[in-house]
Amino acid sequence: MSASLLKIDNLRTYFYSRSKRAFIRSVDGVSLAINRGETLGIVGESGCGKSVTALSVMGLITATPGVITGRIDFANGTLHRNLLDGLDQSVRLSEEEGRIMDVVKDSGAWQRQSDRLQRGVRGGEIAMIFQNPKASMNPFEPVGAQIVEAVRLHTEHTGKKEAEQRALHWLERVRIDSPRLRFHNHPYGLSGGMCQRAMIAMALAAEPSLLIADEPTTGLDATIQSKIVDLLAELKAEIGITTLLISHDMGVIGRLADRVAVMYGGRVVEEGGAQQVLAGGEGNHPYTRALIASIPGAAEVRQKSYLQAIEGDVLDTINIPAGCRFYERCNRVTEAVRERCADCEPQLFDAGSGQRVRCWLFAP
Amino acid sequence: MTMEARAPMSESLLEVIDLKKHFRQRRGLFANLRGAEGVIPAVDGVSFYLKEQETVGLVGESGCGKTTVGKTILGLTGATSGKVIFAGHEITAMGGEPLRALRSSMQMIFQDLDAGLNPKMRIEQILREALTVHHRPSDAECARRIHELLDQVKLKSNKLSQYPHELSGGEKRRIGLARVLAVGPRFIVADEPTSALDVSIQAQVVNLLRDLQQDLALSFLFISHDLRIVELMSHKVAVMYLGKIVEMGVSERISHRPAHPYTRVLWTSLVEKQNREAQPAAASGAWGVFDFERPSAGCRFAPRCPVYQAAGRPAICTDAASEPPLRELSSGHYCACHFPLS
Amino acid sequence: MKRFRQRPGEISEFSDLPLWQKADTIDLLYVGYGLLIVSLVVASYLLGALQWLPHDPNALNLNLLLAGPGTPGHLLGTDFMGRDLLTRLVLGIQAYFLPGLMAVASALFGGTVLGVVAGYRGGGAGLIVTFLGNLIDSFPRLVLILLVIAAFKPDIWYIMAVIGISNVPAVASLVQGKIAMLREKNFIEAAVALGLPTRTIIAKHILWYNCKALLIIQATLGMAEAILMETSLSYLGFGVQEPTPSWGNMVQSGANYFLQGNLWPSTAPALAILFTILGFHLLGDGLNNLLEGKRGR
Repeated sequence: MSASLLKIDNLRTYFYSRSKRAFIRSVDGVSLAINRGETLGIVGESGCGKSVTALSVMGLITATPGVITGRIDFANGTLHRNLLDGLDQSVRLSEEEGRIMDVVKDSGAWQRQSDRLQRGVRGGEIAMIFQNPKASMNPFEPVGAQIVEAVRLHTEHTGKKEAEQRALHWLERVRIDSPRLRFHNHPYGLSGGMCQRAMIAMALAAEPSLLIADEPTTGLDATIQSKIVDLLAELKAEIGITTLLISHDMGVIGRLADRVAVMYGGRVVEEGGAQQVLAGGEGNHPYTRALIASIPGAAEVRQKSYLQAIEGDVLDTINIPAGCRFYERCNRVTEAVRERCADCEPQLFDAGSGQRVRCWLFAP
Repeated sequence: MTMEARAPMSESLLEVIDLKKHFRQRRGLFANLRGAEGVIPAVDGVSFYLKEQETVGLVGESGCGKTTVGKTILGLTGATSGKVIFAGHEITAMGGEPLRALRSSMQMIFQDLDAGLNPKMRIEQILREALTVHHRPSDAECARRIHELLDQVKLKSNKLSQYPHELSGGEKRRIGLARVLAVGPRFIVADEPTSALDVSIQAQVVNLLRDLQQDLALSFLFISHDLRIVELMSHKVAVMYLGKIVEMGVSERISHRPAHPYTRVLWTSLVEKQNREAQPAAASGAWGVFDFERPSAGCRFAPRCPVYQAAGRPAICTDAASEPPLRELSSGHYCACHFPLS
Repeated sequence: MKRFRQRPGEISEFSDLPLWQKADTIDLLYVGYGLLIVSLVVASYLLGALQWLPHDPNALNLNLLLAGPGTPGHLLGTDFMGRDLLTRLVLGIQAYFLPGLMAVASALFGGTVLGVVAGYRGGGAGLIVTFLGNLIDSFPRLVLILLVIAAFKPDIWYIMAVIGISNVPAVASLVQGKIAMLREKNFIEAAVALGLPTRTIIAKHILWYNCKALLIIQATLGMAEAILMETSLSYLGFGVQEPTPSWGNMVQSGANYFLQGNLWPSTAPALAILFTILGFHLLGDGLNNLLEGKRGR
């Protein structure tokens, strides 16, 4: 029996572009596992599918066709559930040349089934915080009331007074200043950083087993970002909450994550321990390496040298090439693997000490 | 104003003298009757100069007024007081047609990637329009220039017949650049040119801007909240806080031996974000919500200043009559603080 | 169950399929029907203007009173005075076509000018325009029309002038709203920064590219409303007077014979009114969805 709290297996979430008559393959076969107590960071640029993965876990994808394959096993000791149970009965696929070209899905039935499966899980066992805190909270209700709502819904503290106590406790825990005052503030009366803290309080007040944080620091000021990261590190040390952290900011991921998965073009291209993956050297996927190299380092800044940019544009997940998705932009292709890179998509190869890389250079 | 060492007018391309831009705040009926004057001093006395082919970086967090500085310099919003002199012309005293004609020399790259790109126009039409605003090239000349522009921003010509919504973020940024270059400016205000882009694309854009500066002898006012990129691109850096410049100097100085506590806070939060062993809270100073209506008396940074806290809250920092002026600490290095770091 | 199929082979680089492939079928139907009606109306107007009619509209044929449709020589029958219905229907379009166009044109012109002034200049001008708009909107339109009729005469042109003016606030606020939206998107600022002269910004970027759809749709809706107003007033006796045919007064005159079992003289013009107004409304709705791309995506 594994200790994984959440196990995503072969998840595919597609959208459909009517104007192009083609699928937008946002998540194209992603498998991840998060163990209890650990923080898994997902790193990637726009369009790689990291946010869509999180939304698929929460059953929040409503656009069509949406989730079409996969298993999401959630097991927190008392509750064992496949959040995509019965998906295959609502979906029929057909492939051509190994690629899914035709999808028939009963969205209505699946939506109902998904809502049934998510009951008790969404918000209660798995809580999510979003990128733009002001836009994600109810602008008409005071912040305290929203936290109280979460407490009453998802914990055993259903009494109003009790719930308010708990809400205040959580506001204090997230180190918001003057918690009693902020309890009655509306989201627009709070700064970005405070709003984000309030959202974290709201998520944790439900006492979830898993916290999904989708770009929690993006959009905040530099000084506030480091504060929020401090807060998350503190909470991690104190409560030991299992976290799925999504960000494009390598610094934040490096500070908070135990294990890291790098996504590109809707697939996981590398995963392993945080130190290993973020080393950005020989032992990493060429994309990871190039990404880390393109961030201006202290030396480059001081010498005002040119940055090491990755040529080309990020993959748009509609036009998926045959072969490795990063091949076009890869600068580490050798003659030995060139043919395979161009024709055949590699699988995740074992690179030692728990690290796996999706690259022909790492094939045994 | 204690900026004595100002370059003589003939040498600088752009001179900004005590620029202020105050926004009137809408207040309720009763507040108006009471006579309470709500003013947001977005830019509150900013001065600096910029020479030919120089890049001056303007750094600060959101709300510090840096974008407003950029827009006021170009005359996109009227200044409340102060002077902006560009290539000998006093922008702040100009309007209408003469100002419009001057725009062929000074342009702006907007933070929003879609700004200036009419979603119903094809890229070719957008570029053609930009080319014909201030000049009248022939059709052949136009076509030649368009291809030249695409080359300069490293885009393929198949983009010409596409619409803006079909382009990626990086491509939109490049087309925005091409559009601006089409009028042939000497000076460009770049407002957060890399912010909305992916990390790997940011590097591309930064390199591109460097190349263009060299090839076309451009001067930039580089506005950003990303300290590393600002330092990389700029010769001189000015740090803004709540509408005022708190420190200004050569970029190496600002990043390695900053004198103002706020500059130090900006740098350390960048580093701490990534440092696993960082001790939370201590050096970064407390945060707080800032109420523009009631700026703290005296030094604006005092409530958040770690030096202020560490020195036992000296009275001079919060004395309304002694807001620290921008003083020259050493040649070319200015700082507005009663207790600058050594 | 919904089916999604990806077209095999190359995916087009442009998301720019021709309009008729991208659009919802229902919108195409709406627009098709609308265009059909519009062309019928225009054709009929021309026929009427050029007097190329099957019969003299005022020719009485006392032998063929209230003949039904299909009577030889009278495709749609005759009315209570033996006049050919088809001819009168065609001629009835004269009553609202040009006046309606005038109402639409004045609403669009006035609304655009005021909307641009209010939106582009903002501030005081905006407040004045909004106030005027609210003022005009507060007037009960029907009362105003009746006042005008009483003060002058029941002339369709005066009525349409009132309708045109009373529609100005609606158009103005739409244009103003569009400009506000563009302003929000840094659109206008970027155009100014480039050095574009104000007249180009307004005419080309704001009006032509962004307000075109809005104005076309307002035109179709305005026309529909003009027809409705004209026919209603004529029915009540305030608009076009006998013997000049108007669909409204044709319904009125046929009403007396309705209960006697002669349904057609009343029903024919009523159906004409229904299908025509429906045509304009559907045209507006369909165009709205097509041009603004609201449905599906």
